[in-house]
Amino acid sequence: MADGIQLARAASVAALATEGVHSMGRGRYVEAATYEGSEKVSGVVVGPEDLEIHIVAGYPLPRPIPEIAENIRERVAPQAGGRRTRVIVEDLEVAEDESL
Amino acid sequence: MTLLFAGLFVLGVYMVVYSFDLFGRSLTSLPISDFSGGLQDFVTRVENGNLSAVTIVTLVILALLGLIWFIAELRPSAPRRVRMGNGTYVTRGVVEEEVSTVAEQVPDVLGSSVGVRAKRSPGARVDLEARVRRGEDLGTISSGLRSKVQEHLSERGLPVSKLNVKLVEADPRQTKSRVQ
Repeated sequence: MADGIQLARAASVAALATEGVHSMGRGRYVEAATYEGSEKVSGVVVGPEDLEIHIVAGYPLPRPIPEIAENIRERVAPQAGGRRTRVIVEDLEVAEDESL
Repeated sequence: MTLLFAGLFVLGVYMVVYSFDLFGRSLTSLPISDFSGGLQDFVTRVENGNLSAVTIVTLVILALLGLIWFIAELRPSAPRRVRMGNGTYVTRGVVEEEVSTVAEQVPDVLGSSVGVRAKRSPGARVDLEARVRRGEDLGTISSGLRSKVQEHLSERGLPVSKLNVKLVEADPRQTKSRVQ
């Protein structure tokens, strides 16, 4: 089980590795990030009992949003230490066409 | 805001000075005898139950407005994000973008504007206003547009608890696109 910044880092890596995730979100009204020392992980907020993962989904979506969120939760679960994981889709970003 | 606080602070200082008769100043020296006299009369009439019908109606309306305001303040505010269930949320902007994109793919729609309100239960209330040419069959367009939006959102897994579709006849020269 990871803690604090380690968990945030792991969650960020897991989220970015999920198909359909374009980038990490930054929070709309309040900055969504975890800090420790001089390090900052954007898009992940680690609480004592919950974990918030803010993402920007790639458009067009390869799968329905609940499936993408479930996939992120599955990837993060081993490190989350039983924390309730919330996935927040902040925006859609048109993915670059790799064939161009 | 700073000016407001400064003004309130100065008024507070004056109130303390006049209330406790400090520095030779007292409330009786203020030119408010007419106002205070009128207020005293009004309160006496309220206590004696000697009020005109207009005053009673005004007081009842004020009391009702206060009650409505109080109840409105007690209601929790609407959530900022749309809940999808099972710990997943999307911002209203995402839903707006999806609805707008699919609405403008419908051939008869020349432009659209979308309003999304998140609800405490999973799902969102979507108000879609689509602009179409004059003389089109609004009923057919509306039902086609509704089913297309619902189908698209359910494919994306975006729950919509209520979808209001409003068609507005518009001049194509003033819409986002003239021809679809």
